[in-house]
Amino acid sequence: MSSPRRAAALALWAATLTGSAAAQGYRLRLDTRVQSVAYRGVRLDSIPVGDTVSTPGRGPTSPDGFAVRCLAGAPYCTFFRPGAAQRGAPLTTTADLTLWNLGMRGLSVHAAGRLGVDLGTADVWPGTDPAVQLFEGYAEYAMPRATARLGRQIVASRLGTMGFDGAGLVLREARRGLELQGFLGWGLARGTALPVTSPALNPLDDFQPRQRQLAAGLGAGWSWRLADVRVDYLREVDPRSDYFVSERVGLEAAVRPVPHVRLAGGADYDLAAGWWGSAEASLAYATPRWSATLGARRYRPHFDLWTIWGAFSPVAYRAVNGAVTFAASPQLDVRGRYERYRYDNAEAATPLFDAQGDGWRWEVGTTIRPLPGWILDGGYRREFGPGAAAAGVAGTMTYAPSRRLSVTALGSTVDRPLEFRYNDAIVRAYGLDAQLEPSPRLRVSLGGTYYQEIHRRPDAGAFDWNQFRVSARVVLLFGTGADEGGLPPAIRLLPSGRAAR
Amino acid sequence: MKGLLVALPLATLLAAPLRAQEGFDHLKHQRVFPSCIACHQGAENPDAEMWPRAESCAACHDGSIQPRVSWQPPAAPHPSNLKFVHDLVPLMTRRTATGTTTLSCRDCHIAAGGSWMAVRRAAPEGCVACHAPGLSHLTAPDSLCSTCHLPLVRATTLQRTDIAGFPAPPSHGQPGFTTREGHGALARGQSCAVCHARDFCMTCHVDAPEQAAIQALEPDPRARAIVVRLQPPATHRDPTFLQRHGAAVRADARRCSTCHTQESCLACHAPSQRVATALPAAAPARGTGAQPSRRPPDSHRDNFANRHRSLAATAPATCAGCHVRTDCFNCHRPNAAAGPGYHPADFLTRHPAAAYSREMRCSDCHNVGSFCAKCHAAAGLVSSGTLGAGYHDGSRFFSVGHGQAARQSLETCIGCHVERDCLTCHSAVGGRRFNPHGPGFDAARMRRKNPEMCTACHGAAIPGT
Repeated sequence: MSSPRRAAALALWAATLTGSAAAQGYRLRLDTRVQSVAYRGVRLDSIPVGDTVSTPGRGPTSPDGFAVRCLAGAPYCTFFRPGAAQRGAPLTTTADLTLWNLGMRGLSVHAAGRLGVDLGTADVWPGTDPAVQLFEGYAEYAMPRATARLGRQIVASRLGTMGFDGAGLVLREARRGLELQGFLGWGLARGTALPVTSPALNPLDDFQPRQRQLAAGLGAGWSWRLADVRVDYLREVDPRSDYFVSERVGLEAAVRPVPHVRLAGGADYDLAAGWWGSAEASLAYATPRWSATLGARRYRPHFDLWTIWGAFSPVAYRAVNGAVTFAASPQLDVRGRYERYRYDNAEAATPLFDAQGDGWRWEVGTTIRPLPGWILDGGYRREFGPGAAAAGVAGTMTYAPSRRLSVTALGSTVDRPLEFRYNDAIVRAYGLDAQLEPSPRLRVSLGGTYYQEIHRRPDAGAFDWNQFRVSARVVLLFGTGADEGGLPPAIRLLPSGRAAR
Repeated sequence: MKGLLVALPLATLLAAPLRAQEGFDHLKHQRVFPSCIACHQGAENPDAEMWPRAESCAACHDGSIQPRVSWQPPAAPHPSNLKFVHDLVPLMTRRTATGTTTLSCRDCHIAAGGSWMAVRRAAPEGCVACHAPGLSHLTAPDSLCSTCHLPLVRATTLQRTDIAGFPAPPSHGQPGFTTREGHGALARGQSCAVCHARDFCMTCHVDAPEQAAIQALEPDPRARAIVVRLQPPATHRDPTFLQRHGAAVRADARRCSTCHTQESCLACHAPSQRVATALPAAAPARGTGAQPSRRPPDSHRDNFANRHRSLAATAPATCAGCHVRTDCFNCHRPNAAAGPGYHPADFLTRHPAAAYSREMRCSDCHNVGSFCAKCHAAAGLVSSGTLGAGYHDGSRFFSVGHGQAARQSLETCIGCHVERDCLTCHSAVGGRRFNPHGPGFDAARMRRKNPEMCTACHGAAIPGT
């Protein structure tokens, strides 16, 4: 079905549900956002070898000063010019709908979808293709000991957020803290609500499966006052060939031996590739004044077997980290964190080029509340590692005289050199953001940020790209009397995003 | 009769506490008036006026003998919650060394040893001297309050300011007074009703409908003139209380229901409303009670957003105590039209440093194809045609030495490169036939799981088959 048709069908469906919901309970949340964005990349160009200019002490350049790369024997040299400005204005409306009181106790219907278009001159910003996306759409039947879902749904576990169209069942024995979970369906691609066959996932014309994978998962958890344990198994199969797309198992555990202390960790194993994936462990201590964490982690990317990337043997890195926060007073918090990591031996080093194999990052910051309603936050962050480094400061000043209004001014500067390309970028941002909640059913926010972006290179490839970005947001809540009248305060006050917290 | 001048022995007990004489200076006139009744006939005769007429002053203050004065009798009696009327004075007696005597005006209105007409408002100690010998007014037993005082709801002449000025008995400041064993044990009978009404209790008690002692009081909104603030009990100040309060609720929810309604629980436990069923729902008749606000627990500091994964995956039910799915997708479902939020404003420029080493698991929220590659393609950061155009110009030998960087951050590579870029060299059936397999590569297992992947490089001649 084409996007406009799907949009019309979705709208009709939503209208039907809303219209017929008078006798039921319903809650509809419409979140509309728009922002103007712009960026500038590079454009590949070439010139005949004979047109290049040689300067003593420097490599060959184009007549207008761009460093060029000339392969031996090739008639042309290539270089990258600053690209054309890419301007976009993505507009999205996300709808979250829940229906209940459908004549059967415990039965409810949930749907979440998004309509997205780009009002700019080109579709340059990811996320608006296709125009209509259904994130979730399922019927749920919930009882104290079991919850069953049918439709498009998302299951979250340490193996990631897995979307699928199918059925899921959770059984629980609350007294013993036991939970069993299982699901089966046609899987969606990772990190999106689209099937792996969607053209939107393949902008570079890469290899792509011809059919959606069948996904099945099992999970079991046990929760106790002092500890939690959970194990998850996920299998994805290509139905065309019955070969595996992925097969993984993950284990998680958390222990709370004494008050204020929590030890948590987990690991996953790739049964298809035969190696350990990511893992982490952390020891956390938290009191109202002090909070500290010591941790270690290992990260290894996971690739589905319909790609060849797993055969390239991605190596893991191992990191140790620590973080501490101290509330010196109700008006003052200070914080700091540090992480150091090192990649496993890639067994691919060459005598001519040695990439950075380890890195670190640290950050210090403080939050000050000098007067009621005023919050000042600032921090300095520095990181260095393979591929890139960064260092910069950022600060915000927020005035929030009430929960319904807040105004934030922000400023930041970051310096970011790259390892594999001459392109030291500096970006400075100055912005203002305001949020207003005139009623529990309406929230409005408006922001604007000016970016001063400077790219430094020793040739003509350097360019500056300054821009002003504007973003706006309107959140509307609709619902039956039960929704608006009896809705718990926490739901009415749920923050809509990290920035709003 | 002088006895009648016991007038107002309690009249200023609470409602009119020792106000200064307004206008008329009794002491200055002590040689003029030999008797109280001369002016205050009402103290002796209920049918007569308590105050003299203003014209009677003109008998002297006529402008020639004495200057004229503008004194006026009060328009209404002083606001009071006293049961006392002067008619009772003849019935009031006390024992002295010489026998039993009735009271006179000066017994209450002139201090012991005071000169004639040095009058004052009657002090409650005068009442207590007989009704509760040896005690002070506010330390008298609760059972005695109603001897002299009306319940607040019947003291209709009292204004909010009068009520707000009620002195608090010392017992109210005792440690533990706010507990069930404190004022809860004392709240029997009608003693509380002298100063309080049901509305006062409802400032804190949301279990007012279930508390007989509160229901025994009549409602009166003036009672809220005495301002109290609900203070959390000592148990709530325990740093671990937030973590352990669930067990306390399960053990005895009635203790919580004194100050908390279901809304208290739902302020945080919104998605799991069953935890609130032990408490009553909020209602106008239940009053205000505790109003807890939602705040993140201490564990949520220290960059918790970046390390919540283990905890969220291990015990999602714990998260569900306060969070709903929408919370997760505020970050885990990127929005093309969203301004800076989860990622800071300068993240577009800074993201290479975070992405190369996967400071966070980018692919949990972002699909490499629809997100990374699409944007990189629009920015020209994509391979086209033969490799070697020179984008990676940080080193002349990057092409021949890229293996380490690729194995370290393959997810970053595929943000710009597709498989055919690599197969130009890393293919067993064409190109330069460089073997891409590195440490940990289990050829047999991968071939067993999905041999189609192998055919991309090996064609039909997969080794080992």
